[in-house]
Amino acid sequence: MTARSAPSIKRRRTASANAPDWRNALFVAPYLFFFVTLLVFPLFWGIWLSFHKADIFTNGPFIGLGNYLRLFNDAVFLQSVGNTFYFVLLTVPTLALLGLFLALSLNSNSRLATILRGLFFSSSVLSVTIVTLIWRFVFIPQYGLLSAIYKLFGSEVPSFLTDPNLAMIAIAITTIWWCIGLPMMLFLAALQQIPADIYEAAALDNASRWRTLISITLPSIRRTFVLVVIIQIVMQFQLFGQAWLMTRGGPNNTTRAIVLHIYDLAFRRWDVGMGAAASEVLFVLILAAATIQFLTSRSAGDRS
Amino acid sequence: MSARSTPGAARRGFGDHIILVAVLALSIAMIAPALWVIGLSLKDNHEVMANPNSVFHPPYIIDNYVNILYGGGVLRWILNSLIVSVGLTFGTLLLSSLAGYGFARLDFPGRNILFIVVLFGLAVPEQAVIVARHQIFSLLKFHNTYHGIILPGLSNAFGVFLMTQYFRAIPKELDEAALIDNASRFKIFWKVLLPLTLPAQATLGIFTFLLSWNDYFWPLISATEKNMYTLTVGMASMQVNFAQSEGVGFLMAQAVFAGAPIFIVYLFFQKYIVTAVSGAAVR
Amino acid sequence: MTAEIDIRNVSKSYGPLKVIENLSLSIPAHEFVVFLGPSGCGKSTLLRMIAGLEGIDDGEILINGERVDPLPPGKRGLAMVFQSYALYPHMTVRQNMAFGLENLATPAPVIAERIAAAARMLEIDHLLDRKPGQLSGGQRQRVAIGRAVVKEPKAFLFDEPLSNLDAALRARTRIEIAQLHQRLRATMIFVTHDQIEAMTLAERIVVMNNRRIEQIGPPMEIYDQPATRFVASFVGTPQMNFFDVRGATGSQIRLDGTLSLSTRVDPIDAGRAAALGIRCEAVRVTGEGQGDADGVIDVLERLGDRALAHVRLPGGQTVIANEIAQTKQRVGDRVGLGFDGAKAHLFDAAGVALPLRSAP
Repeated sequence: MTARSAPSIKRRRTASANAPDWRNALFVAPYLFFFVTLLVFPLFWGIWLSFHKADIFTNGPFIGLGNYLRLFNDAVFLQSVGNTFYFVLLTVPTLALLGLFLALSLNSNSRLATILRGLFFSSSVLSVTIVTLIWRFVFIPQYGLLSAIYKLFGSEVPSFLTDPNLAMIAIAITTIWWCIGLPMMLFLAALQQIPADIYEAAALDNASRWRTLISITLPSIRRTFVLVVIIQIVMQFQLFGQAWLMTRGGPNNTTRAIVLHIYDLAFRRWDVGMGAAASEVLFVLILAAATIQFLTSRSAGDRS
Repeated sequence: MSARSTPGAARRGFGDHIILVAVLALSIAMIAPALWVIGLSLKDNHEVMANPNSVFHPPYIIDNYVNILYGGGVLRWILNSLIVSVGLTFGTLLLSSLAGYGFARLDFPGRNILFIVVLFGLAVPEQAVIVARHQIFSLLKFHNTYHGIILPGLSNAFGVFLMTQYFRAIPKELDEAALIDNASRFKIFWKVLLPLTLPAQATLGIFTFLLSWNDYFWPLISATEKNMYTLTVGMASMQVNFAQSEGVGFLMAQAVFAGAPIFIVYLFFQKYIVTAVSGAAVR
Repeated sequence: MTAEIDIRNVSKSYGPLKVIENLSLSIPAHEFVVFLGPSGCGKSTLLRMIAGLEGIDDGEILINGERVDPLPPGKRGLAMVFQSYALYPHMTVRQNMAFGLENLATPAPVIAERIAAAARMLEIDHLLDRKPGQLSGGQRQRVAIGRAVVKEPKAFLFDEPLSNLDAALRARTRIEIAQLHQRLRATMIFVTHDQIEAMTLAERIVVMNNRRIEQIGPPMEIYDQPATRFVASFVGTPQMNFFDVRGATGSQIRLDGTLSLSTRVDPIDAGRAAALGIRCEAVRVTGEGQGDADGVIDVLERLGDRALAHVRLPGGQTVIANEIAQTKQRVGDRVGLGFDGAKAHLFDAAGVALPLRSAP
């Protein structure tokens, strides 16, 4: 068989099937279009807006840090920051610990445990409007659920939602009822990752139940605990719906959350520049809180 | 082997009983508010306002539910929410699958950097961009439209992240076999790999649908006309008026009516939803 | 249908690491060639370069005289059987087999006919409507082969296809692949690290090590006339016995201790000898003092058809020798070893085999 002479193609690096190719980017292009136009661009425009005295129609003059200065001199804004921190402190530890308790207690295959797990998660699929609707009618004096319960014991329910000292607590309770499902599920998943042989070894080592819990179970899910806390910090800093719908930020601005303030500034008073500035402050706060939490847990972990 | 039950539970001790009581107490606390609302919804408005304790005994009526079908905008709101949620889910699945395949399986200049940038997008909270988005949409006259409510959700990076991870997990040999079978890159995506991602699609789809259905902040500021309200916004608007016009029972019926569909979906797809939400958070 | 494959001066680098350097190889049509070597030797890389799944940085690959290296994998007219079969899990067997042909716009009747013929030949016709998940490992293997067969490719590429099968299935499938080649007479390139597969299936073996070709030749040539120490040690079970050469006088090679063998090496080359290799079938176990060296049996492996005696020499080295199956020897026995020097191989310091005079 005669070999045909090879055509004279100049020697060049031949692309393999997996070589980089511009055309491959077409697959990510559609998503990237929306990502850039609806996330990246607004992010930077928002920052830009925060440096201007802007309203809904015009962008106004450049005022540098003017908006930020006004924010930090605004007692109401500072109060809303404090409120939000208070709220986070009320909800995050409770959600984490309660979620852990429920996960530990309901980590079994029994029928009852399965049903209860489903029950505790079910509240998480409801929207904030339905949740607040339900809980307003728990707290409301006269025909609220708590009112009925208090009456059984012969006393009157305090008016949670109109009492400056109790309003935030009421919102916190509502939020815990609403959000408990996720931490519980995350802990359950983590508990199920623990290999059974560790427990068997502990049993052979004669460890008591308490000892097993403290020395084996909890350390094994430390990472998840940190994760749950970080997630909840990020989520609860963004408090809006519950505060807006149950108390409108009152009484006396005691339940005014940062996002509520942003909503008020940007979409009610149309002070868009200030609203943007407040939202950037929130962004920084969330990032800082999550990072601090992450770093402290990391170093604590390294030491242990 | 995973530990499906916290062990050492061989002996039912005193501690166990306390735990059981605590859990049951919490369970009651979980379910009581919902029961209360259902109870109120089945009572006549005036009867409840006059005597709150009437919740505990009959008569129970369904008039409130009947009235929903006639008055109020609930049905319209449900339709709006449906359109928005289905639209966003569909769009997200499409965009995320395409992008996930691109990031996971194909190489192009700047791919790794782009992926990291997209990942950073996950860290940005909604509020940091919402003011600017609102302004942009005002300029484009997108407010009070369906696309106006749907579009921002398409920039969510979670779907891309999830699908990329899932595509990465599929053995590369399938791509190679298809390449030798002379399939184009798109054909490999569409005919070979995409069908294998159904579990991830289900998870992402349910997660996106749920998130969109329950979204409040963006529809609140973008859909300001009553007939464009989504269910969450519409329900919220009702809360202000109840004492004057609608009545407690009616309001509660609306709440039950609005919450029931998603609750039923939850009952059927519990496993998927839990996977979706847990997976989302662990990102 | 079948093709000759020409690889000319091919090189490939991963960044600074030169994976394949200036490699050339010619495979005539109809040949069953095996790329044999340990993990990481480059045999799979070479196969994938032929397939188009890896690019080449320099050189050419030609099929039937035409350059294919610029072409994508799908356009080279090849078919590949993967180690993990790579069957499309969500498609039926029939759809798996049809996929490649559909992409080439083959008319449906032709596709159906080819699938039927291939299924009959491989005895998988009753599985056509099942999905890969419902098949056993051996069945999946045959479907993977069937998927390749229907394409009537210019050459078949096998990437360690038997590695995922258990021993019994492996032996059976080996025979089926040999029969397939007899039947189709197609060019087949088979990559494996298992020298038994190579010896039994190949018309020619390409032995590779460290990304270079060590030797190319028919199986018996590889076995009887290894070109390098690596080839000699890699092929043949158990491994060849190796000794350090202490000196040479004419064709007489001196090893450790008093051991000295008369070999077939040319006296001119004998001075360069650094190592001597001799297979266990050329070493006999004798009575103590009756052979070329004495030692103690360390381990006695009974294989059923023969036994392998691991004999420790006074210097500490262990030599493996063939014994009959029913040997009465026991561990700890003092024995002698008789070496057939004519069957010894000699290697220089670089591991290259020294030429031997033909056997008398």
